[in-house]
Amino acid sequence: MKNLLPRHYVFLGLFVLTALVMSLNIKLDVEVSENTKRLYGFIDSLPENSYLIVSFDHEASSIPEIKPIATALLKHAFSKGHKLIGLSLFSEGTLIGYRLMSEIGREYDRKYGQDYVYLGFKPQYIAAILSMGESIPKTFPKDYLGNKYSDIPILSGIENYDDVSAVLSIADGSLTTHWIEYAGMRYNIAVVAGVAAAMVTTYDPYLEAGQMHSMIGGLRGAAEYEKMLGYDGGGARAMLAQTTAHLYVILMIIIGNVIYFRNRKKGIS
Amino acid sequence: MIDWGTIVAGILTLAVLTFLYRDNPLYKMAESILIGISIGYTLVIVWQTTLVDLLFDPLFGDSRLSLLIPLILGLLMFSRFLSKYSFLSKIPIAVMIGSGAGVAIPVMIEARTMKQISATVAPLVSSSGMPDISALVVLVGVISTLIYFYFSREHKGFIGRIANLGTYFLMIFFGATFGYTVMSRMSTLIGRMEFILTDFLHLTQ
Amino acid sequence: MTRKFALMTCFIFGLVMFVQYFSNHPTAKLLNQSILEYWQIIFAFTLIVGIAGFIMNSVRELREGESKIYKLASLGGLILMPLLAMIWGIKADTPFTWIFENVQVPLQATVFSLLAFFVASASFRGFRARSIPAGILLASAIIILISRSSIPGFQFDFLTDFANWLRSNPAMAARRGILIGIGLGSVTTSLRVILGIERTWLGGK
Repeated sequence: MKNLLPRHYVFLGLFVLTALVMSLNIKLDVEVSENTKRLYGFIDSLPENSYLIVSFDHEASSIPEIKPIATALLKHAFSKGHKLIGLSLFSEGTLIGYRLMSEIGREYDRKYGQDYVYLGFKPQYIAAILSMGESIPKTFPKDYLGNKYSDIPILSGIENYDDVSAVLSIADGSLTTHWIEYAGMRYNIAVVAGVAAAMVTTYDPYLEAGQMHSMIGGLRGAAEYEKMLGYDGGGARAMLAQTTAHLYVILMIIIGNVIYFRNRKKGIS
Repeated sequence: MIDWGTIVAGILTLAVLTFLYRDNPLYKMAESILIGISIGYTLVIVWQTTLVDLLFDPLFGDSRLSLLIPLILGLLMFSRFLSKYSFLSKIPIAVMIGSGAGVAIPVMIEARTMKQISATVAPLVSSSGMPDISALVVLVGVISTLIYFYFSREHKGFIGRIANLGTYFLMIFFGATFGYTVMSRMSTLIGRMEFILTDFLHLTQ
Repeated sequence: MTRKFALMTCFIFGLVMFVQYFSNHPTAKLLNQSILEYWQIIFAFTLIVGIAGFIMNSVRELREGESKIYKLASLGGLILMPLLAMIWGIKADTPFTWIFENVQVPLQATVFSLLAFFVASASFRGFRARSIPAGILLASAIIILISRSSIPGFQFDFLTDFANWLRSNPAMAARRGILIGIGLGSVTTSLRVILGIERTWLGGK
């Protein structure tokens, strides 16, 4: 105990508190935000059999946050009977995206190659996004499983963005920006997104300017989407722990400031 | 049946968490394994999905000889390891940098500048013909932030006051971003805690 | 000579990619598609070169006896992944994917989750209202954090509305200002690169 520093107590407090509230298994109600409603409405209003590109633009590190978001969005898209074209512009998102699409596709009895397909990864996201605008088959001559593009039934007649209704970017970083700027602006395709909470403020100008149709952010966004879909998933399960962690951070800020102002009053820097 | 995947993942997760006490051999080992595995993974994925699918298969399978150009340019990158010929690697770099700069200009003007300026000015007058207060706040915020980052003139007098106002807008933005970043980081922690408590230790359901 | 050739290459590719943006001519489209394909292939080679550099450095450090066991773990992981991919392939449910899902993903996610602890610690130790701008930053962060929490029995309608307004107006305005600045900066830099004024990417003098 002698070796413990103040930061260790802060760490311990966060760890114990999070573990405790997670063992309580209490689900909190969340109010659905306008942004979530807009994204839900967008996917919901697309006619059946609309083509959607689902791009898994994230790394393995953010999977605890990204998975509930992607799950909720894929569940909605599959349940509405949309045709999904999965791909990844981050090498690490490749396998994660394939797994998610396969698992959720199976849940809704959707068939690989007919109802959805997974094209895999291509590097240099700007080049890949622009290249797809000219020709998707030339950018992805084969799917993730090694099937030729021309042999996959769902892809017959899909040449470029003109044949697709929207791009759904699931991102933990700034990659959605490139979808908005290079695919959205140049090829005029609608871009929607599910992003890590840390990126929400980065995308606000695009959202307000109408360059991005709508987005959900973080576990809270996932929880709101799950509520609209009527199931409790990773987002809803995490809300109590998330709220507790927020309050813990606020408490740390307050304690830190109280100590600071007391010391300042006493003349200790 | 024993789920070896969960056991391995659980042990590695705990090994990383030991870093919270201090740097130690267990963490260093986990970190080294992660570096090796992730580079190996990237190598395999890039090799298969790009070099095989976009280059080797069409070049050697379908005899698309035009692909010899990127093959040669790509191989020139390896000249970096030969100090006498390392200058050759500048040619493929020139292709990438030139192409990137070329496509960026119109996109940056259109998507990042014009569209954002128009979205700032357009909502100033609402449909009822009345000035929109929020839109005015946005206009002031955008201009003052731009002036804050304008270093060609000293931030004194009127310019200084506007730049100072820009600081307040920036602080609101950074604060909001910090708030959302806390959300993100806590989400990742919650995900790992859920794994430890539920999947690995079976303490919760 | 090579410097001039590299500058020329950069200029030509930059100009072609810039001009083709405004053209729908089939030749321009074909040229665009080809250059984008080349770009991706060369980029893949640069990744391979980076990995080769990592291997060479690790081997050198291994020979010099620096952190031997950790270097061996990294290199072992790096060799293991391509080996597994060569023997069993990279599709789902292969040893390659097993390692990715049970070693790489938990390790990477846990390393990332450490940030949650450091964010909490930083909030305690460094997030002080030392000045008015710092106070604004702090208040903005707290408002956002509370508005995105769901506390049973508490309704934060006013706070949620205010937080949303804050995010969509002053915070967004600052971000937009930054975005416009980056946009203009990118255009200038891209032009300088294409015209050969900006040459730092060539290295040397």
